[in-house]
Amino acid sequence: MNPTTGWLVAGVSLLNILACVWLIWATSRRKPNEVAEGAVKEDVWDGDLRELNNPLPRWWLNLFIITIVFAIGYMVVFPGFGHMAGVLDWSKRGEMESKLAQLTERREAKLNELAAFPVAEIASHPDARKVGQELFGSYCAGCHGANAEGARGYPNLTDDDWLYGGTPQAVVASITNGRGGVMTPFLSQLSNEQVSQLIALVADWPEGEPSGRQAEGMAVFRQRCAACHGMDGHGNQALGAPDLTDDTWLYGGDPDTIRETILFGRQGKMPSHKALLSEQEIKLLAGYVIGLGQ
Amino acid sequence: MNHEKVEKHIGLMAILIAVVISVGGIVEIVPLMISKSTTEAAPGVEPLEPLQVAGRDVYVREGCYNCHSQQVRYLAEEVLRYGPAAKPGESVYDHPFQWGSKRTGPDLSRVGGRYNDEWHELHLMDPRAVVPESNMPGYPWLARKQVTADDVRKMMGALRTVGVPYTDADFEAIPDAVAGKTQLDALVAYLQSLKASDQEVTQ
Ligand code: HEC
Ligand code: HEC
Ligand code: HEC
Repeated sequence: MNPTTGWLVAGVSLLNILACVWLIWATSRRKPNEVAEGAVKEDVWDGDLRELNNPLPRWWLNLFIITIVFAIGYMVVFPGFGHMAGVLDWSKRGEMESKLAQLTERREAKLNELAAFPVAEIASHPDARKVGQELFGSYCAGCHGANAEGARGYPNLTDDDWLYGGTPQAVVASITNGRGGVMTPFLSQLSNEQVSQLIALVADWPEGEPSGRQAEGMAVFRQRCAACHGMDGHGNQALGAPDLTDDTWLYGGDPDTIRETILFGRQGKMPSHKALLSEQEIKLLAGYVIGLGQ
Repeated sequence: MNHEKVEKHIGLMAILIAVVISVGGIVEIVPLMISKSTTEAAPGVEPLEPLQVAGRDVYVREGCYNCHSQQVRYLAEEVLRYGPAAKPGESVYDHPFQWGSKRTGPDLSRVGGRYNDEWHELHLMDPRAVVPESNMPGYPWLARKQVTADDVRKMMGALRTVGVPYTDADFEAIPDAVAGKTQLDALVAYLQSLKASDQEVTQ
């Protein structure tokens, strides 16, 4: 608030208080032509209603006076009188900032203490896991689910199956820098026949040597898909290409979903959390996530 | 003045009541209408881009504000959870402002960059696809409705009338900015624009 507005506000506030004082004084004063206290007044209302001349009860009047005194005291102590800060120098922002500093300090002390453990130990340390779980709830649960079991397109973090690896370094890197697996679309590159052969293979990956349609699928796979998913379909953690031989699916293992994946490609994206989380927080989260898989 | 005069003349009483109430207005509201910190954009605050304007319109139309606030209050716990507390200068281009007062879902004023576009699309189509325990309704029809340049021109025209500094060049950019976009794309673009004025958003 600039001083001019401040003085205007202060002036109006002061006038308002003075007006209240005057009002109480003026109305509680006896007037010259008034009937005696407790006597019946002259006016008649609605034919037969009459009014006694009684003053306001004393306690009621006192309440008015107390509110006026309170208002003056409040304006002296708190920032209420125009742009004056008040003798306490209190402000909502200041209160918030000091509380925030206090909470952050306490939190940092705790984080420093807990994040001093190696990630592998955090994974099984109850206190550290608790902090990790809280962080997970506010930063990760929206995508990976409150209990980290994932959803379509969002990996389950509770199993021991990793797109990018489950080592402390890999998980810390996933959280810090984010991840973006890119599977290119094959819509214009494969014939319908080839796509069906691939679906036959991928939907039910054979244990030993493939035969029949699956063998045809395998031939196409080795040519077109193995660069990313590996010759034997076990995936590649450097690219985030999933293992196609197991029963864990990121998008789905039914023929329709696999067809969609092959034709249109996939671009799962995990955002970077570098700007949102401190190094210690990321470490605690990594420990928590790794602990889930154990 | 004799109080009987006031009690017996309802018109006079009404005028005096109005005078008393407007004292509160003058000291509480008028300073906000002339103070710089509430009428000038905070550093870093820009008018929304055309697609974001269209998204904001969807936000208002679908009543998202009934469940989501857009103001981080001056409480340490809120700042820790959502990000920097709200500043008046962040809302100067927000007509009508979307501060809201009901939080069935979380505050959204700092949600930009928190999730990627694909997540928002999935979530808006069917919240339970990504958050099983969510009670937020799905908005699947948004993906079937197109944003038209004409509508956006009118929205931005209205905003310009109430003081958002759009230039003629901004208006010329509308057709390209919204070509082929659905209302879902627009809403996601708007959500991604929600951030603190001094907050860096990666991505
Ligand atoms: C916007 C949604 C989103 C948010 C928020 C998110 N993730 Fe992810 N996360 C993903 C997606 C999508 C992937 C898979 C990336 C891919 O497909 O390449 C992923 C992958 C991961 C991986 C790698 C999994 C693997 O199998 O190698 C880890 C670890 C992970 N996230 C942890 C976290 C943690 C911890 C948080 C919270 C700080 C978090 N994520 C927040 C979407 C998200
Ligand atoms: C450029 C590397 C690359 C090539 C080539 C590639 N993929 Fe992929 N594939 C990926 C990546 C990366 C993912 C994970 C996408 C994500 O994280 O969103 C993936 C995902 C998949 C999935 C989804 C798995 C699941 O769990 O839901 C299937 C199925 C798949 N690929 C099959 C194929 C087939 C069949 C081919 C050959 C036609 C192929 N891929 C070629 C990289 C590739
Ligand atoms: C009935 C109340 C309700 C309505 C209406 C509603 N939401 Fe939500 N919203 C929620 C709840 C509850 C959550 C938390 C659970 C979840 O993530 O789905 C949420 C979460 C969200 C989130 C994720 C926020 C975060 O930080 O995790 C976004 C973004 C969102 N809503 C956007 C919208 C938009 C845009 C609209 C209007 C089209 C809308 N919501 C309408 C209740 C609602």
